[in-house]
Amino acid sequence: MSKTKSKKQDWFKGVFPALVTPFTLADEIDEQAYRALIRYVLPHVNGVVPCGTTGEFSSMTFEEKQRVIAICIDEVAGRVPVLAGTGCTTTQETVELTRWAKEAGATGALVVAPYFLKPTFNEVFDHYKAVDKVGLPIVLYNIPQCAGTHYKWWTAEGMARAFDSVIGIKDSSGDMPFFMALLEKLRGIVGIFVGHDEIVGPALLAGADGMILASANVIPDIWQEIYQAAQRGDIEFVRQRQKEIQILTRIVVRKGSPQAVKEALRMMGLPFTNSDARLPFVKGGEFEREDYEDMRTQLANLGKLSPVKKLYGGQVVDYVATPETPGQLEDLTLCVGEGFAGPPFRELAHIDLLLGWKDGPVGRALERALGEPRPGHELAVINERPRTLLVPTVTVRGKKARQLVYEEAVSGVNLAIEHAIQEGALPEPLLDDVCLIANVFVHPAASIRRRVQVNNYKAMRGAIRKAIEGRPTLAELVAEKDAARHPFRYAP
Amino acid sequence: MTEKPFHPAGVNPALVTPFKKDGTIDEAAFRRLIRFVLPHVDGLVPCGTTGEFPYLKPAEHRRLVEIAVEEAGGKPVIAGTGAESTKKAIELTRNAQEAGATACLIVTPYFLHPSDKGIYQHYREIAQAVDLPIILYNIPQVVNAYLPRRVVEDLADIPNVVGLKDSSGNLTYTMEVLEYAGDRINVLIGHDEVVLNALAGGCAGMILASAQVYPEVWQAVLKAVQAGDLATARELQFRVQKLSRIFCRLGGGVAVKQALRMMGVDAGVPRKPLKSVGGALIHEDRAEIQLELEKLGKIQVSSFEFRVPSGPVEGRFEAVGIMAKDVAAHEMRVGTGAAGDGVEAIQIDLLCGAKSSPLGEAWAYQLTYPRHGFEALTTILEPNLTVRPSTLILPANELRGLRQANMIYGPTQNAVAQAIVDRLAANVIPESAMHTHVMIVQAAVHPQALDRRVLHHNAYEATRAAIDDAFGGS
Repeated sequence: MSKTKSKKQDWFKGVFPALVTPFTLADEIDEQAYRALIRYVLPHVNGVVPCGTTGEFSSMTFEEKQRVIAICIDEVAGRVPVLAGTGCTTTQETVELTRWAKEAGATGALVVAPYFLKPTFNEVFDHYKAVDKVGLPIVLYNIPQCAGTHYKWWTAEGMARAFDSVIGIKDSSGDMPFFMALLEKLRGIVGIFVGHDEIVGPALLAGADGMILASANVIPDIWQEIYQAAQRGDIEFVRQRQKEIQILTRIVVRKGSPQAVKEALRMMGLPFTNSDARLPFVKGGEFEREDYEDMRTQLANLGKLSPVKKLYGGQVVDYVATPETPGQLEDLTLCVGEGFAGPPFRELAHIDLLLGWKDGPVGRALERALGEPRPGHELAVINERPRTLLVPTVTVRGKKARQLVYEEAVSGVNLAIEHAIQEGALPEPLLDDVCLIANVFVHPAASIRRRVQVNNYKAMRGAIRKAIEGRPTLAELVAEKDAARHPFRYAP
Repeated sequence: MTEKPFHPAGVNPALVTPFKKDGTIDEAAFRRLIRFVLPHVDGLVPCGTTGEFPYLKPAEHRRLVEIAVEEAGGKPVIAGTGAESTKKAIELTRNAQEAGATACLIVTPYFLHPSDKGIYQHYREIAQAVDLPIILYNIPQVVNAYLPRRVVEDLADIPNVVGLKDSSGNLTYTMEVLEYAGDRINVLIGHDEVVLNALAGGCAGMILASAQVYPEVWQAVLKAVQAGDLATARELQFRVQKLSRIFCRLGGGVAVKQALRMMGVDAGVPRKPLKSVGGALIHEDRAEIQLELEKLGKIQVSSFEFRVPSGPVEGRFEAVGIMAKDVAAHEMRVGTGAAGDGVEAIQIDLLCGAKSSPLGEAWAYQLTYPRHGFEALTTILEPNLTVRPSTLILPANELRGLRQANMIYGPTQNAVAQAIVDRLAANVIPESAMHTHVMIVQAAVHPQALDRRVLHHNAYEATRAAIDDAFGGS
């Protein structure tokens, strides 16, 4: 059997963010924001990837891709390698863009499997054979979630050995047995990168050379720590740190990567005038509104958000918010906030929240309702600071339903109140003067207690923020009124 | 080619197995079910998927077949006798033969996934071990694998393999089987949503869960297709389409048992781990089944008192404690609008006032202390997208059960929200009101409203008219 000598390159290792492409409100490439992003990640990374999947290469014209790659090469100025995404649907276009990238000074090209139509593996082989002839170092790129085809390990092995230019492979499938086969067959011959954020730790410990990640736009520093720890064999550190960012990475990977990353970067204060991914992706779509709230909490927990001064009910508050958070709310007569969180369907939570002065309509409604008991809808005062009343939306029948509402949902709601006080959404100086009424929906067929608790935590967290911040805004409502999809509007 | 011993055809219900609460089989209920359905069908199928066959012990299985044969009055009884292993399938098939079954229905071996060779051998061994006509059974939704067409093509040569039931709903598979084995075996459709299509493509009949709920509709579809009257067949198929979809997708037997109970036929409960309600089928689905059975005339529509609020608009909010004098004293705005005809007609009465006015008090109280049957809903475009001014929707008539509530949640809620945001965008509702005011929308929706799409349209038009009436827009 012939031995293939190592084609690994020194530059192809470590942390490479798959850079998002910021667009202006006019939907053009936002060069300033893009350069700012590169400057933000550069101190922490070993290389960058313009025009990757997260960079929305598939929504950009040939010329736009050229421009983005050129800006990237210019801003990076040789400090780290630039691995340009040059994969297109046809062989001809892929070759053309790869050739252009070579002349423009890219270090290498990341070439996705031809997608949508499904060429057979011998056709895929010939596709890469044509790209190989360009002479720019090539990284094969397997992402079956998008491309619709999953490399067979023998195809990857065959191409990695056959083509001189192929110096690496990126696997975003998250398919660990497949990744193990790649390591078994190709480790030491080409660089093997993991592209699925949720399994970076195990992939590195199994022998991966590096990572190309969407979330490395947001937390390049943490990925660098994890990469370094893996290099020195500190398994415990890798496990612990990966666990701390797992919710964030899961949102990024599964809930609309480009939008999620852009929203996160804007929350952190990067100069993105527009955090929208290009159509057909829309706000509140794949990256859902509850994911937005979750992302905000995750970034706060990781120390990525700074407190800002807000004026609520006559009090100046240090609020761990984002630059987009509406500024002030003087009138606390009757604030309304809504929160919805799931899945799973049966354990979803929906909360209508009233927040207001104890001596206003909210306080009077609370005290009046308490004086008028009604079986099946037992009201419960679940907190005194602020005074909080829980109202079950659905008639509570049976022991199981009582537990779900009065134990699990209540504990989630109270945890959200505790966290809201910490982040400033419920200002400490107002806690004796305001009260809350939470109208809480728990599905009668719910059974997973833990999810009822967590979803009610999330729903209450969103409801409090939205009540105090006056969200959604008019602009948000108008933007989404036609595309909104109410789940119960349609016949089953 | 030898003549096949049996030609399965016509309308055959896949009978549910009635269980008592203690988990034992309710034989009397099973007999009553058969008597209920027998006049309308061409054969009976006990112990199919709908009959929860994997949950039956061999003795129970045999007993159910015996009862079916006793009650069938000479009509064919096709017993489900499939199993994971060949040995067990042979045992069940022998039992069925001894119990007097006309034929048997044998599902692709499930859980472990044998190769094509293993599947072929499975059926061949059974066919040789018994003297009973065999109907092959493709149901990938539960087996997690197709019965391969190339295997069917070869099995069709076996003298006592007489048919195939295809429950996949994948008509490309059905057509392929008809193409390669249709000259030797009859193909029966097993997916309620595509009966007309499959019959038109050449299927000889059907084995369906819904054939014990509306067998007469399926007889009419069969007759119409055979007569070449596709227009009638389509009309009939679409009449039962939604209910067929619910049966197919929400756990056949479970949903059918609910439907039968509503129709006065006690079909018992399912066996654990399945639940009557709260599993695949939840209360909302049950309400939907009820609606559809009413539409088909299978159950009586209960009579409702329906009242459309009338008189001066400012006097229509007394139930929430806002009197006409409050409206005037606190500069509240009122408006009304109506749209649509018949049961989808809707009237919207709208009240808008400052948070600091008595309307703020009423608003907070309605959400804190729901009136039974008149529970208030906040107005949302979709979950996590509430409109402002914060708006409560209140039903004008008492909601009795989820059947009515389902028409308000969803269609009405979304339409009211869209109308409010549209009138905000047009500056009919001033932007300043978003944070200073609240609104109450009283919605009169007919308790027999059925068509969500029409209702949504009418609710939008009525709300828009009510807003324009209140705010002087046009």
